[in-house]
Amino acid sequence: MTSMSDLQTPNTPTWCPGCGNFPLWMAFKNACIANGWDNSNTTLVAGIGCHGHLVNFTRLTSIEGLHGRPLPLANGIKLANQNLNVFVFTGDGDCLGEGGNHFIHSARRNHHYTVILHDNGLYALTTGQASPVTDHDVKTRSTPEGNPDFPLNPVTMAIASGATFVARVYASDMKLLQNLITQANSHKGFALIDVLQPCETFNKILTHKYYQDNTYYLPENYDPTNKVKAFEISQQFGEKSIACGVIYKEEKETHEEQYQFLKENSLINIDVSKRDINKLFSKYL
Amino acid sequence: MDQEVTIGEIKVKVLKDVCIGAATCVAIAPNVFELDENMKAKVIDGANDTKDNIINAAQGCPVKAIIITDAKTGEQIWPK
Repeated sequence: MTSMSDLQTPNTPTWCPGCGNFPLWMAFKNACIANGWDNSNTTLVAGIGCHGHLVNFTRLTSIEGLHGRPLPLANGIKLANQNLNVFVFTGDGDCLGEGGNHFIHSARRNHHYTVILHDNGLYALTTGQASPVTDHDVKTRSTPEGNPDFPLNPVTMAIASGATFVARVYASDMKLLQNLITQANSHKGFALIDVLQPCETFNKILTHKYYQDNTYYLPENYDPTNKVKAFEISQQFGEKSIACGVIYKEEKETHEEQYQFLKENSLINIDVSKRDINKLFSKYL
Repeated sequence: MDQEVTIGEIKVKVLKDVCIGAATCVAIAPNVFELDENMKAKVIDGANDTKDNIINAAQGCPVKAIIITDAKTGEQIWPK
């Protein structure tokens, strides 16, 4: 059983007032408590960005990787111990800019873990530069005359790349977010949750009010296994048209399930202390 | 009329018309604040936390929708 105090660290969050990271952090901790996720069964991975601080404020085994590289770390962790719950926290810049290639191929391979995308529409830690999801013509610190580039859509991209669970949610909708985190972890395969996260300091367009006014819940009769419909829904992003909930879901063998060895054992159970690797080295020396 | 609740040495009031539902207060002081069905912060029944943490939560509000006053003197502690 996990309690809120088990998850506390001595560090106080340094996010700006109103940052979407606060409710995201809270929803994740609530999911940990509800599901009994603790240091015996769960590992966190983060990239570089405001989101990455989450691992400093949450007492769970964590690693903060190089900029854009949390997914390769998660791939390694999951191959070493496929029984762990692995959560990747990454920003829209970190995941889709520096880490865009990893995102495509990790989704394609259907590694079994959950990617929580802190999607605030720009690079916030570096004080507000355009990221791959920043809309065309938007003025930021790096695009003072308007962004000349057109944005990526992470939900569309995830479905196209082979992700088998793709959801979207507004950060302060903590009930839905907690629910989606739980569902994503239960799903076998690559799960993306695109968290629409206001940056009160640097993004004056995608605000709390904007998301409260323009998001809606997918209806109960929505079929998330319909890939064509999921593509269509994922592309709708504007006034009163931002769908939240599970947009796409598919059952498919995971990367880890395809190794015969991992069906019977885990790499962490192999004793490597007495292994002689001199023979292997001699081949190259 | 905005809800005002006494917790230990302080009174806590949430200005509903000002609150934007950012939920920073909920994340910092989950034993004191929650969001209601309209995505507005409210003080939980039986709320309990340290004075410092409640003030931290109020200071985390981007629109200063949480007013903290000294329960004895009525002096406003936050926002200053």
